Amino acid sequence: MVALANIGLIPRPVHPTGVWSWLTTVDHKRIGLLYGFTALAFSILGGIESLIIRAQLAAPNQSIVSPETYNSLFTMHGTTMVFMVVMPAGAAFFNYMVPLQIGARDVAFPRLNAFSYWVFLFGALLMNFSFFVGAFPDIGWFGYAPLTTNEYTTTGATDYWLLGLQVMGIGSLAAGFNFAVTILNLRAPGMTLMRMPLFTWMTLIVAFLLILAFPPLTIALTFLLFDRFFDMNFFNVSAGADPLLWQHLFWIFGHPEVYVLILPAMGIVSDVLPTFSRKPLFGYPMIVFAGIVIGFLGFGVWAHHMFTTGLGGWASAAFAGSTMVIAVPTGVKLFNWLGTMWGGSLRFKTPMLFAVGFIAMFLLGGLSGVMHAVVPVDTQQQDTYFIVAHFHYVLVGGSIFGLMAGLYYWWPKMTGRMLSERLGKWHFWLMFAGFNITFFPMHFLGVIGMPRRIYTYDADQGWAALNALVSAGSLVLTFSVLLLLVNLAISLRRGEKAGDNPWEAPSLEWATSSPPHHYNFAVVPTVRSRYPLWDEEANVVEPPPLPPHEEPHMPSPSYWPLMLAFSIVMLAVGLLIWQWHALIGIGFIVVMMVLGLRSIYGWVYEPPAVEAPAAVHAHT
Amino acid sequence: MPRPTLIRPTLLAVALMAIAVGMAACTSPLTTFEPASDAADRILSLYILITVAASIVGILVLGAMAYILIKFRARPGRKAQQIHGNNKLEIAWTIAPILVLVAIAIPTMVWIATSSSRAVADDAILVTATGYQWWFEFEYEGLGPDGGTLVTANELHLPVGRQVAIELRSVDVIHSFWVPALIGKTDMVPNRENRLEPFVPNEIGEFWGQCAEFCGVAHANMRFRVHVESLADFDAWVAEMNEQTRADPEPGSAEARGKRVFEVLGGCAACHTIAGTAAAGRIGPDLTLFGERTTVGAGILPATDENVRAWVSDLRSVKPGARFMPTFADTLSEAQIADVVTYLKSLRVP
Repeated sequence: MVALANIGLIPRPVHPTGVWSWLTTVDHKRIGLLYGFTALAFSILGGIESLIIRAQLAAPNQSIVSPETYNSLFTMHGTTMVFMVVMPAGAAFFNYMVPLQIGARDVAFPRLNAFSYWVFLFGALLMNFSFFVGAFPDIGWFGYAPLTTNEYTTTGATDYWLLGLQVMGIGSLAAGFNFAVTILNLRAPGMTLMRMPLFTWMTLIVAFLLILAFPPLTIALTFLLFDRFFDMNFFNVSAGADPLLWQHLFWIFGHPEVYVLILPAMGIVSDVLPTFSRKPLFGYPMIVFAGIVIGFLGFGVWAHHMFTTGLGGWASAAFAGSTMVIAVPTGVKLFNWLGTMWGGSLRFKTPMLFAVGFIAMFLLGGLSGVMHAVVPVDTQQQDTYFIVAHFHYVLVGGSIFGLMAGLYYWWPKMTGRMLSERLGKWHFWLMFAGFNITFFPMHFLGVIGMPRRIYTYDADQGWAALNALVSAGSLVLTFSVLLLLVNLAISLRRGEKAGDNPWEAPSLEWATSSPPHHYNFAVVPTVRSRYPLWDEEANVVEPPPLPPHEEPHMPSPSYWPLMLAFSIVMLAVGLLIWQWHALIGIGFIVVMMVLGLRSIYGWVYEPPAVEAPAAVHAHT
Repeated sequence: MPRPTLIRPTLLAVALMAIAVGMAACTSPLTTFEPASDAADRILSLYILITVAASIVGILVLGAMAYILIKFRARPGRKAQQIHGNNKLEIAWTIAPILVLVAIAIPTMVWIATSSSRAVADDAILVTATGYQWWFEFEYEGLGPDGGTLVTANELHLPVGRQVAIELRSVDVIHSFWVPALIGKTDMVPNRENRLEPFVPNEIGEFWGQCAEFCGVAHANMRFRVHVESLADFDAWVAEMNEQTRADPEPGSAEARGKRVFEVLGGCAACHTIAGTAAAGRIGPDLTLFGERTTVGAGILPATDENVRAWVSDLRSVKPGARFMPTFADTLSEAQIADVVTYLKSLRVP
């Protein structure tokens, strides 16, 4: 076996620092940071896209961008924010925090974890690479057939879109399995399911949602791939296809995806509120159960995205009903959060401000969501700015505010340094104001008839004043995000030292040092209560750092996850080459398959850890 | 630290709402607040019901939250009460939203049941609306010559007070038929036969329609108009549309020269129909009685001579991405285009 393992052409990486150490890391904390920085970088890209959109719509009949460019911008803004910002930002936190919260040294499959990240990154880069070969995709983030078929989309950008999404989906599936197994199997002694922090609970639910929701998208994208590359007829209407097939598959993925985006934020808020209210979560079992119910029901509401497609009375009634039902567990969560603050001693540090902002904004997004369940009302509001307002309240006022609460809450743990409270409060209030100035008027634009996805409108359509207000709000929102970046930079350079538990929080991640050792806990803690750091009898005390020779053995870095992810994205590139020249494409695909198989082989026969280079040297 | 309350954002939100409501009151031709049919009336009353319900819930919960945030803010000497939950309370706030939702679900289900089973009246106007990238075609069943089909494009004429039943089709990608004043939207999906709930326009006027499903480059410019008119006006329009022998324009006039360009020199007739003349193309929009239209380019520009000329000369300068129709500035002289415009504008109900 050892001989087989050593077939590798390149020696196994062992560097603890430098670029190679990041490229080959399998440490969940480093992977979490990689996800976080990637999300931040893409959020700047997605933000710029939205600012150009707002510039174009600030006044009637503008031509700052062409209609083709405008369509690309809203397509990539949506795709980027969903798949390359909010999802990886959630992944950043669940990578970094879940093993710490459950008292584990790493995730169950550290190399698979690295693979998830790289395959996600490469998929995202592949999609964005379309910009350099012509134009961004311009078919909407939802890519409705038959607009995406060769007959109606002549540019190749759609191929980049579907291949990029397909590749990123592999990363999401792998992460889903990894975190389900990690949370179910690697909990510290005494950490029963009903003692887990809520963020870990919501991550567990998200893991199952990823596992169950991505296959329908994979199938839909595969059909589209076969249509576009091999002239098949899944969505070819002139061959009799029913284009609603795409919509059903897409939204069976798409609605659970909404909960993939919001549940991590709900988990963060459920951890932040007790810490800053100085009391336990109100109705912990109900909040957990409500999360599980939302996860299940999330698979039964997809056709409310399709009320105007002519589903017929029975289907409309069923999906209107299920959509109303899913509001119940959501309401339960919200009331329990209010119950958590009731009777507390509320400390309004920045994480708490964002958590409270989350509750208020998510409430508004939830209420406008219930309005859409009223089918007749939806027939007027579908595909108008009312919908745009609704889902930005859910995904920005909800997800992003929740993620911001998490960032301010856990940044000291991740970096060992505090963020400025003063800048943080400015950030919160400006973001809160900017967000509401940007998105609240969109409700009114919707009910006075402004459709989505239009690159222009006339002065006599009566939408100019509100659009100017919305565009002004987007500048305030942008400025608040710049304040965040300044705050992060200052903190990294000269932020106040954080200490292990600056917020006096109750969960295990605060028991270890800030930032944590690469092995997380010197001694795996034993847990005796739901709030181990608050419960004096059950207090967890982390011993001082271990001397190097006593450090626990952690999995060594590996090239193979990176190589395998690379070969997978290159298979997708091979298809693009095949379009241009069949033989070269096939040759390229064969080479990449060999590389991929070699990577799997190397991965399988790689021992979990190598000894440190110094030790190797001493033996020879 | 400053007194941490939610008063500031709440005031801000209220102020913003007031401004926004004020602005929304300015009329928009696509507003959902000025219904002109029985169907749109019903939707608006449901909209008001759900909006009031949602606003009450929102204000109550936000109010409770503001109270909590102020009352329980950290102060010297305050100890947080270590409560873990309260079963009765939690059951109560599970049941409360259920009751609110049932109250909303009942009218929703009643609407679904009645609107999806609403019968088509015997004297209903039957229309098939078809979406093309990026314009609309309307076919009236039985109103054409000899009980056949009457075809028009981009401007739908309807008599006030008569039920209309519209079938929706698409020949290419998915479009959506939406006239907020008359009826909520329903998608036009290729290979599917969707139907709008039959409705009765109850007000005379010109109403704006818009494609509401993203359908490609010129989606924003895929609009249409509905003219709801008196029965007499509607009948006159139908009769003139069906006129099979249209008198030729006076020889030598601009109209006559324009007709010749339209039918022969420019080749327009290969794609467009003008009933009662030699023009019988079926690729582009039907142009019979074009002079009666208030817009050109699928509802995007007022049909002034200048705009029609701009359209014929170089349609992609006003509707980027438009398919098929050539840029006639390349092949026809300015005078010829002007003649075509004069001819088209002369096609009116006498």
